[in-house]
Amino acid sequence: MLPAIDLNGVTKRFGTKTAVRDLTLRVEKGTAMALLGRNGAGKTTTLSMLLGVSAPTEGKLAVLGGKPTDAKVRNRLGAMMQEVSVIERLRVEETIELVRQYYDKPLPLRTLLEWSGLAPHAKLMTQGLSGGQKRRLSFALALAGDPELLFLDEPTVGMDIESRQRFWETIGQLKDRGKTLILTTHHMDEAERIADRVVVIDEGVLKADGTLNEIRRLNRVRTMTFTAGDGITPERLKRLAGVTDLAWEGRRVRLTATDTDRLLRQLIGEGADISDIEISAGGLEQALQTIWSGDRKGETA
Amino acid sequence: MNAYLRMWKAQSAAELLRTMRNRRFFLLGIVMPVMLYFVFVASVGDNVQVGGIDWKAYYLISMTAFGIIGSSLNSLGPRLAEERSRGWAKWLRTTPLPNSAYLFSKILSQAAIHLGIILLMFAVGILVKHIQMPFHFWLESGLWMLYGMIPFLALGTLLGTFDAPEVVTVLSTVLQMVLALLGGLWTPTEQMPDWMAQISHALPSYRFAEGAWDIMAGRAIPWETPAILLGYAAVFILLAVWRLNRKGTRA
Repeated sequence: MLPAIDLNGVTKRFGTKTAVRDLTLRVEKGTAMALLGRNGAGKTTTLSMLLGVSAPTEGKLAVLGGKPTDAKVRNRLGAMMQEVSVIERLRVEETIELVRQYYDKPLPLRTLLEWSGLAPHAKLMTQGLSGGQKRRLSFALALAGDPELLFLDEPTVGMDIESRQRFWETIGQLKDRGKTLILTTHHMDEAERIADRVVVIDEGVLKADGTLNEIRRLNRVRTMTFTAGDGITPERLKRLAGVTDLAWEGRRVRLTATDTDRLLRQLIGEGADISDIEISAGGLEQALQTIWSGDRKGETA
Repeated sequence: MNAYLRMWKAQSAAELLRTMRNRRFFLLGIVMPVMLYFVFVASVGDNVQVGGIDWKAYYLISMTAFGIIGSSLNSLGPRLAEERSRGWAKWLRTTPLPNSAYLFSKILSQAAIHLGIILLMFAVGILVKHIQMPFHFWLESGLWMLYGMIPFLALGTLLGTFDAPEVVTVLSTVLQMVLALLGGLWTPTEQMPDWMAQISHALPSYRFAEGAWDIMAGRAIPWETPAILLGYAAVFILLAVWRLNRKGTRA
């Protein structure tokens, strides 16, 4: 089966600046992939090339087996761009109806209004919408053609909590229907919620690629939380090897360390009075910090 | 229905609706020309002869041309610039809508609006000022004005290639006024100093109205008049295409 996305040695330069360098990536259909990286890492440039908005300087890419500039391919994809793109002097329902006409097999207007949470605002003029409502309209427009492949570039910026909740519920439903999702975000909780594959790029270069758990495991720092007895003092804990951070709340201690197993053995060996011990591996955010700092255990797939 | 036709039809209908909801278009494309027409005709006198025709007919053409120029520049230019600066044009490139359908729908809906301006202004002339002309004079003048609007639509498209919508809005209004003033739409070129009349004759605004004045006066339109308009249109289109290619973006 043809992959949803196939990038082969793709490089994009703007003058002397290289935004994306020799990127090779294959994404199978039905995957929910988070493309993560710091500001200026090359995420939006990569999406622009995948959407056919800009062309690679070098390398080849295919989207749904064809060129992203091909109308047949565009009929099968949807995009929610970082910029809020809404035209004025049209009502919400008129804007959605207009965009529905671009596609061969659009979703019904009512479905789009419901999924985006814009049904109560269908008659509003677009220039009267709040920033969050405009984002929701962008979402409805991205879904208008019932896309097989959906690109979401920082989709929830400006949305309130309720809108975000609804948005992710809809995205979850789309994922269950086998849609391919490509997401960029700075909210790691969003990536963790939806992605089954995580790709990390930095300065235009692929830094990590794996399942959510594989990427999480790149994180060398663990967090250990416990209740400290009388003999435990901050000074004593700070002297232990590998402790990178320490916080006290009453008698509850939270410390991060590069090797919590060794630390725990040491504390028990010294007969330290500790109880209610919890060790957590940390989330995606810590893993990304590890990747960016170059302090990695090793490469994944 | 053919996909291209379906998209083009929807896009044109939306553009028409958006223009009709634009107060700026109403002010500069309809209210101002009608208002100026009544003011200037009343101050000069209905039946004064200018360029071989009654002032009320002469000035009707002037103000129809003024309205069309205003509509071309003030609707098309700022809208194109705004859609590019807001990322709408970029987003459209991710949809199946072809570039040509996007641009032609804007231009053709604008042409439909201009037909409305012509019909409205002619109705004002006939019904309010009781201008009496053979029907074919009205028809030919109307058709001429539909031809003559091409360079102004091209100029509007060119203005739309600039990045700042606020600047384009101001520039469009200033250009409309300058083209009207120097093109003899407010004051006949016969009343201008020679140097100014010479400038006027070289402008598309003068040539645009001149063709219709000639038809109303029963004269043949000189060959250079449509040629000059076509020349302006070609230059504006080439400049617009050049600028868009340089940016690598959709109009």
